[in-house]
Amino acid sequence: MFFFTIRRILASVLVLLVSSFLVFALAAASFDPLSKYYTRNPRPPQSFFDNLREQLGLNDNFFVRYWHWLSGALTGDFGKTINGSSVSQQLGTRIMVTGRMIIAAVILAVLLAIVVGVIGAVRQYRPSDYAFTFLVYLLIALPTFWFAALLKEFVAGGINDLLGSQVLYTIGEETPGLSLYASGWELWSDRLGHLILPTVSLAMLSFAAWSRFQRAAMLDVLGSDYMRLARAKGLTYRRTVVKHGLRNALIPLTTVVALGIGTLFGGAVITETVFVWHGMGEYLLKSGIGQNDINVVLGWLLVSAVFVVVFNLIADILYAVLDPRIRLA
Amino acid sequence: MATTEATTETVGGLLPAVPGTPQNGGGVEREFTVKARSQRQQIVRRFFHDKVGMTGLVIFVLLLAFGFLGPLVQGVDYATQNSNAQSVPPGTAGYLLGSDAIGRDVMAGIMTGVQRSLFIVLLFVAIAFPLGLLVGALAGYFGRWVDSLLMRFVDLILTVPLLVVLIVVASNFPGSRTPLGVGVILGLFGWLDLARIVRSQFLSLREKEYVEAAHAMGASNSRIIFKHLIPNTLGSLIVWTTLAAATAITLEAALTYLGFGVNGANQTSLGRLVSDGVQAASTRPWLFYFPGLALIIIVLAINLIGDGIRDAFDPSNRRVRA
Repeated sequence: MFFFTIRRILASVLVLLVSSFLVFALAAASFDPLSKYYTRNPRPPQSFFDNLREQLGLNDNFFVRYWHWLSGALTGDFGKTINGSSVSQQLGTRIMVTGRMIIAAVILAVLLAIVVGVIGAVRQYRPSDYAFTFLVYLLIALPTFWFAALLKEFVAGGINDLLGSQVLYTIGEETPGLSLYASGWELWSDRLGHLILPTVSLAMLSFAAWSRFQRAAMLDVLGSDYMRLARAKGLTYRRTVVKHGLRNALIPLTTVVALGIGTLFGGAVITETVFVWHGMGEYLLKSGIGQNDINVVLGWLLVSAVFVVVFNLIADILYAVLDPRIRLA
Repeated sequence: MATTEATTETVGGLLPAVPGTPQNGGGVEREFTVKARSQRQQIVRRFFHDKVGMTGLVIFVLLLAFGFLGPLVQGVDYATQNSNAQSVPPGTAGYLLGSDAIGRDVMAGIMTGVQRSLFIVLLFVAIAFPLGLLVGALAGYFGRWVDSLLMRFVDLILTVPLLVVLIVVASNFPGSRTPLGVGVILGLFGWLDLARIVRSQFLSLREKEYVEAAHAMGASNSRIIFKHLIPNTLGSLIVWTTLAAATAITLEAALTYLGFGVNGANQTSLGRLVSDGVQAASTRPWLFYFPGLALIIIVLAINLIGDGIRDAFDPSNRRVRA
């Protein structure tokens, strides 16, 4: 187990290194930090561009540039934005914002997926199974932003009317400026009110696919011999399902969820756009791609790659812990 | 008299076997009365007996008819703008589903959108399918360094969420804001999961006896891949195609919503209609609901067909009459 983990960690570091190179190549080919000056009127003289190119190190060899960026990134310095502020600092606050949403959404989605999946499997071909299956198919077919708009329109309005005060917010991750003077309960309850709708929207869409996995895994387990044995030993049905069935059926889901968290970063881009969150998604679209800011895009891509690789690693190790047979392979 | 003799003989139950003549008046005698079916016939029958898959197929065909025959019946061009009928609600004379801010008919828009979205899907499949099949087949069949090289490459691309890769690439090509451009970009990056699926299937299939037999008879690698292995992965290939088609439609909508999809002037797609409609959710709900519903129904129908096909190929987890 120890060597298995070491081997996996080394492989992940290697993947990350090569991935950072690929990401750098993609970004370097895509974004020109000077582009905002091209459309200036009057156009700056050529010497201005030459100076700036020299200053930003754009004239260097591609590999030299990569090395400069990589050595900076390894020490936690992602360079400067085109407006001169530090990318690492901005990334830090953005991750906290998006992280809140993703963690809450994953917890909610996993719980829902397990409950719905197990119910679907245990009560296969009953009305409840059909109802959940239909619901899940509908959720899979829904475009994220359409569903989110629906939530904003009905759920937010409905609940706020019902409670008589604004509890759910549809825009932003906190009331602007609140963090400047408020703290403690006031700040966090406000953040919670902002958090609920995006979380629900993100969770609903990821749980749908996961619950199908859970249902299939559970069906697989329910038909196995050791379940029949457990029943034959005289255990109650409920006990066999929970202790023997569910524990084994959770193994495939852990992998799927761990891999899915990386993908959630992509899904969060849309959710953040709909709910106007100032998180990672907005950072990539507005500050990065929108302004042709190569350092922002690079930082974003690297952070997301780290998340994907780390969660792949976690998935691998978890799988080996939960299912000892895999270690031998 | 001759006839009665004949009947008594058959009542006795046994006809004397005459060499060279078939018994029972010519048909080939079978032990059972069930007609033998080839595997393909069984799969097709299973699909046609599957309620879920058939529901999807019927809905899908209806949508096709709506998108492609509808404009002929309705006779309205989506591009026609009518300054006298801007933002009219559904049911207004001539505008069954209402009109948008510049007086275009929403129903004609959805019909065109269905056409364009299916065009994107077609393009996506036409590019992604051969790519994924080729990469997966090479990696799975040859193994060793070919496998490592190709699959690590796939892993590397997948370290960044697909949607973000698409965004970054699409931001490079401002000219690609058309159904054609979006279809090509989706296709160029949509084959990664197919490659993984094909590879894992090939890894197990290439150890089978019939592959060994083909090798022993001197079949070339390409013959084994194309004549023996690919036909045996057909089930997964078809299932992937349907499910990926559904994903492509939603991805297109997401890209368009974020401003990197079909956003050019005079360009349209279901995703474009839905994204435009989101802004009008409370003021002009018909712009929000109708395109959204059309998109959901089309994705739902394709997913149902995909599931029906999967069950038809692998009925082990379903009770369907074959």
